[in-house]
Amino acid sequence: MARNRKNEAAGVRFGPAIKAVLLCLFIAMAAIGFVWQKSQIGALGQQIKERELKLSELKRQNKLRSDQLAQMRLPSVIDMRVRELRLGLVPTQPSQIVRMVELPYDGGQVTMERPVASAVRGGANNQ
Amino acid sequence: MVMSVPYRRLLMLAFLLVTAFCALGYRLVDLQVLRHDELRDWAKNNTQRRVLFEPRRGEIRDVRGNLLATSVFVKTICADPTLIGPHAQEVARAIAPLLEVNEAELAQRLQPRLRTNELGNVLTNRYVVLKRKVKVETWQSIQDTMEDLKLSVDETQLTRTERGFYRNLRHKSVFADSLDDQQRVYPNESLAAHVLGFVGVGERVVDGERVIETTGIEGIERTLNSKLSGVRGWRMTETDRSRREVVPFREQEVQARDGLNVVLTIDAGIQHIVEMELAEAIKKHTPISASAIVVRPKTGEILAMATLPTFDPNKPGDFEAAARRNRVICDISEPGSTFKIVVVSGALNEHLVTLQDKFDCEHGQFYYAGKLLRDHHGYGILSVEEIITKSSNIGSAKIGFKLGEEGLHGYIRSYGFGDRTGIPLPGEVAGIVHPVKNWNKLSISRIPMGHEIASTPLQMVMAMSTIANGGKAMRPMLVNRLEDQQGRTVVRYQPQMVRQVVSPEAASQMVQALKTVVATNGTAPKAALEYYTVAGKTGTAQKPPYAPGMYFSSFIGFFPADDPELCISVVLDEPKHGYYGGTTAAPFFHNIAERTASYLNLRPELPVPDPQFTNNPKQRPGLLTARRN
Repeated sequence: MARNRKNEAAGVRFGPAIKAVLLCLFIAMAAIGFVWQKSQIGALGQQIKERELKLSELKRQNKLRSDQLAQMRLPSVIDMRVRELRLGLVPTQPSQIVRMVELPYDGGQVTMERPVASAVRGGANNQ
Repeated sequence: MVMSVPYRRLLMLAFLLVTAFCALGYRLVDLQVLRHDELRDWAKNNTQRRVLFEPRRGEIRDVRGNLLATSVFVKTICADPTLIGPHAQEVARAIAPLLEVNEAELAQRLQPRLRTNELGNVLTNRYVVLKRKVKVETWQSIQDTMEDLKLSVDETQLTRTERGFYRNLRHKSVFADSLDDQQRVYPNESLAAHVLGFVGVGERVVDGERVIETTGIEGIERTLNSKLSGVRGWRMTETDRSRREVVPFREQEVQARDGLNVVLTIDAGIQHIVEMELAEAIKKHTPISASAIVVRPKTGEILAMATLPTFDPNKPGDFEAAARRNRVICDISEPGSTFKIVVVSGALNEHLVTLQDKFDCEHGQFYYAGKLLRDHHGYGILSVEEIITKSSNIGSAKIGFKLGEEGLHGYIRSYGFGDRTGIPLPGEVAGIVHPVKNWNKLSISRIPMGHEIASTPLQMVMAMSTIANGGKAMRPMLVNRLEDQQGRTVVRYQPQMVRQVVSPEAASQMVQALKTVVATNGTAPKAALEYYTVAGKTGTAQKPPYAPGMYFSSFIGFFPADDPELCISVVLDEPKHGYYGGTTAAPFFHNIAERTASYLNLRPELPVPDPQFTNNPKQRPGLLTARRN
């Protein structure tokens, strides 16, 4: 026999309410998460842009320094500086060079030789 | 039937709602369907941007890696006069010193102006270029100056709108163009200017975008422009209302590919030596021009190529066109006696003569085809070797008779005269070699001594290098390799042999004869070196219109004679205070050779004295300190 609903105890039905609240929370969290992620994407985009600018500036500075270094190492610049500073530097002359003739290993003895015509024929010239 | 009032109102409301929905629906269809394409393009134009990335132009370096040309990114500084208003004078006063321009002229350009375009619309001048090629550091100083700009108004008393105007004036009225531009820098200024060339700048539209292009105009900059230029990159992206990029909306992105670095065979140290010596030659002999080339005969590598007067490729427009011309490859002249190597080596190769064969040099006067042929000194009987030693015109003409017209012409062409050498520089000329059918009766007597023919200094030095290289003609090499920006080799060029012109035996005999030229009884004793044997030939050719004092003097030689490392040519156009190649050009050959040998640390060929370690620089020449004769 069916129960008389009029006589049923007036109890609160929590199940549907909790479900509704959870659904609302889920939608709200998803919305907040979406906005937060969008914000993060925007912020990271800004960071990327800033770092790109910094990298570009560092590359520029690096190029500037390497160009300055290259310029200071130019033979013409070194020559000019030697003249300006009156350092008295001159290149080594053939008479100041002692050439070591490399022979097959003979127990550790090394032969030193003056460069003469007979010794250099057939040898490497640009040393 | 009569409807009740509430029902009528309901019907009216429904009608209005339906009408409103219909209107909205139509608007929706209009926006989304009918005007879809137009609105889509409009929206894209508002937000989508294509950013172009300018590739860095490749560097040019010498064979040791020394920097000869590089590029730096620079800014184009512009202004929006409508944001400056009545403060043009104050802004000009602040930034004119930084831009290094005239203040009054700048103030004039900063004045707001109105103009009417072809459609009748009134426009303001919102984009005025103040200066191009401004360094980034200077642009940063301009920004700082504008931010701290003191104006003749009390800004505390201004309204919000007026304060906005002054904020825009400080931050937006002077700006850098978003287009990247770069400036070519030649740190050595005029060093090897004719080899490097220079660049020009042009503006053009690529796929609807305005771009600034740097293009090679002369020299290696022009020949290898496509390799140096690189490839432009791009990025498709979106911007917000303030035209700031919205990074997450980036779409396609292709990075720019920088140009390749060109590594030349030129050695900046040797080039410097050569240019210093040519400057001395100009000072001493005041010729119209002086040129020199240093070549490695075995490979054809050009270690130095210089012409004076020269120019600064950083500002080529400040120099005359004559100074910008590379006379080594663009100018032709009768080579004179240096050309005797062609006829004598040809005759030796054909076994028509030996070095010991004797010729009657007619005591300096020889009539041929009714015309008189002279020697500078009267010689009697001379051997072939002595003909070279003394540079006898009559002797070489008689060797030419033995070789014959066809034979002589064949050797001339075989040595490369009448053809471009193929050096990778623009503007090279082939010279003049007439075909045999156009020769007159005198030609066979004149051509052997370097008349009735025209060549470039480069052709002559390559011919001498052929002798030095055992008869093998090499193609002149100016580019050693191409590298990417990380220094990795992309292309390495190898020496190229063109042809075997004479046999090694004939070339060896020729070297024997050329060694005597720098002996005390030769024409160029001043070219002799202390530690190396030198082989070479002098040349003193009259220039058209063959007036007195108009000579083309030269000396081309190589050393060590039997195993040559370097072949050097020195050419003076109309030298004063002497005109013989042996007295004008040969001493500078000596200086260049001596200093270059020291710079390259070439092993001495002849015995050297005991080491003397002294600190007196006057006793020793070299790269850093030149010894003067």
